[in-house]
Amino acid sequence: MSTQSGILVVAEPKDGKLANVTLESITQARSLGAGPVSVVIIAAETAPLVAAAGRYGADRVYVCESPEAAVFRAGPFTDAAMAAVKAADPALILCAGSADGRDVAAGVSARLEAGLLVDITGLEVKDGGFVATHPCFGGTVIVEKEATSSPAVATVRPNVFAREEAAKDPEVVTLEVEFTPSGLLAKILEVVSENLGIVSLEEASVIVAGGRGMGSADNFELIKTLASELGAAVGASRAIVDEGWVHHQYQVGQTGKTVSPQLYIAAGISGAIQHAAGMQTSKCIVAINKDPEAAIFNFADFGVVGDALVIVPALIEEIRKRKAAS
Amino acid sequence: MNIAVCVKQVVDTEAVKKLDPASWRLDRSVAAVLNPYDEYAVEEALKIKEAHGGEVIAVCMGPKKAEDAVRKALAMGADSAVIVTDDALAGSDAQATSYALAEALKGVQWDLVIFGVRSTDGETGVVPAAVAERLGVPMLSTLAKVDVDGSTIKVHRETEQGYISYECPTPAVLSVIKGINEPRYPSMKGIMGAKKKPLETKDAAALGLDTAKVGSEGSKTRVVSGRIPEPRKAGTKIEDDGTGAQKIAEFLASQKLV
Repeated sequence: MSTQSGILVVAEPKDGKLANVTLESITQARSLGAGPVSVVIIAAETAPLVAAAGRYGADRVYVCESPEAAVFRAGPFTDAAMAAVKAADPALILCAGSADGRDVAAGVSARLEAGLLVDITGLEVKDGGFVATHPCFGGTVIVEKEATSSPAVATVRPNVFAREEAAKDPEVVTLEVEFTPSGLLAKILEVVSENLGIVSLEEASVIVAGGRGMGSADNFELIKTLASELGAAVGASRAIVDEGWVHHQYQVGQTGKTVSPQLYIAAGISGAIQHAAGMQTSKCIVAINKDPEAAIFNFADFGVVGDALVIVPALIEEIRKRKAAS
Repeated sequence: MNIAVCVKQVVDTEAVKKLDPASWRLDRSVAAVLNPYDEYAVEEALKIKEAHGGEVIAVCMGPKKAEDAVRKALAMGADSAVIVTDDALAGSDAQATSYALAEALKGVQWDLVIFGVRSTDGETGVVPAAVAERLGVPMLSTLAKVDVDGSTIKVHRETEQGYISYECPTPAVLSVIKGINEPRYPSMKGIMGAKKKPLETKDAAALGLDTAKVGSEGSKTRVVSGRIPEPRKAGTKIEDDGTGAQKIAEFLASQKLV
C-alpha cells in the first residue's frame, strides 16, 4: 500500500499569472476529494502566482523562485517539479497540456518511471485509483486510461475542466532546488513577443476560423475583426496556411492545434477530416460555407449555406449592433 | 555534425482507423505513412548536413513494416537507418517507447537528435522530452528555426506571442514544428539509392532492453475501456436569403454564446 496521497499541480506561469489550465487543474483536483491539493510554482517572481493558487483553493503551495526560472527550460522546471514531488509525495501529478507542460510531464515521469497519461479531458477516482479520459484520433475514439504506477503523471487539456475560486490560506513551502547542470546549458538569448494581446487558441472559449472560402489573405482580416468583436481567438484551415495567407500558429487540425472551445465559428472551411480532428470536440459549431455539400454541415450545430464574404461582414455589424444595444 | 532523426510510421489520416476491442490497440494493418511531422525533422537534419557536413541516421521503433517509412527518410537523403523492432515492444506506451528509443540512440553516433513535434496517431508529443531526460541532455521543443554554428545551436522556440531564442551546446534533443522548412520530395534517384543504404534491424536483446519495461505489459499506463462516441449530428442548416448573419446572431444569443 503506497503512502502517497493527494494531487500536485505543476503550475504554468503565463504573463505573470497562472495559466487557465492550471486554475482548471486545481479546481478539478479539489473536486475529487482525493487528499490535499498542492501546487508547485516555478518562476522568477512567485508572489502573485502563490496568491492565485490560494484563491483557487490550494491547500499547500511549493515555491521555487529563481532567476533561472524566468523563462521556460525543460531541465530546471523538471528539477523544481521533482523537488515538489519529493516534498509532497502525491499520488497524482498534473501538468498543463501545453508545450511546456508536456516537456515537464515527460521529464518527471521518466525520472520517476511513472505512468504518463497525456491530454486528459476527464479525471475521476475509481477503486482508490485515478481513471483519466483521453480522446484519440481527433475525438473519434474515447478511451479511459489508468496508470499502474504511483504516483501517476498526467497532462490536462486546457478549457475542459471548470475553474472556480474557493479562497484558502495555503501553507507556503519554499523549495531549495539544486538545478542539474545539463539543464542549464541552454541559454536564453531573447524573448520576442510579436503578437501581444493575442487570444490563445488552446485556451480560448470562442474561436473564429477561416478557410479558403475567404478568397484571399486580405479578406482574412474579416475573420480577425469578427474574432476581436467576440473576444475570440483566430483559427485557420491547413489550406490557407499552406497558401501562406496566415502563419502556421493559427492552424487548427491534424498538423495544427487541437481545440475545444465553447463556440467554434468556421467560415469558408469545408471541414475535411484533418480539420475536424482538431475541433470536433468544440461544444458548439457554427458553419458558413457556399457549398451545401461541405462536410462541415454534417457536424455543425448551426449551418448557413452562403458566401462567407457576405455573411461575415454582416455578422460583424450584427454583433456590434447587439453590443451597442445592451 | 551527426544527426539522429527519430521517425515513426503512422496510420494514414484518410484511412478508417480500427481498434482491437480486446486491447483497444490501434489496428496497424491499414495504410501507413511516414509521420507528417517527421518529414520536417528529416528535412531539417538534411539541411544541417548539407551546410555543415556529417551524417544523418534515421532511427525508428515499430513493427517490421515500418521499414517503408524509414525507406522514405533514406530516399529523402538520410545516410543510414536503425529499426528497433521486436514483438516484445508491441503495445509500448510513450514512456516505454522513450526508454527503447533512448537505448537505441546510445548505440548511434550523434550530436543532435531531431524529432517531429508529435505523431499524428498517438499525438502525445512527450516522447522527445522523455528521451532527452533519459539521455541527460538539454531538450528544446517545438522549434520553428534551427541554426548551427560550430558545436553550438541557436534555435527559435515557438510561443503564442512569438518566439524565444535559445543558444545551446550540442549534444541536445530537439523537436521541430510544421513550417520550419519545406520537406523535399524524394527524387527517383533517391528512391532507387535508398534500397542500397545501410539499414540495421535491432531487437530488444541486441539493445539489452529490460523487457519488463516495454510492451503493453511493461507500460505503466493501460487502457481500461474504450468507446466510439456518437458522431456529432448535423444541426440546423439554412440557406442564406440575406438574413443569414442575423440568424447566426439569434442562434448564438439563444445559446447564450453572445
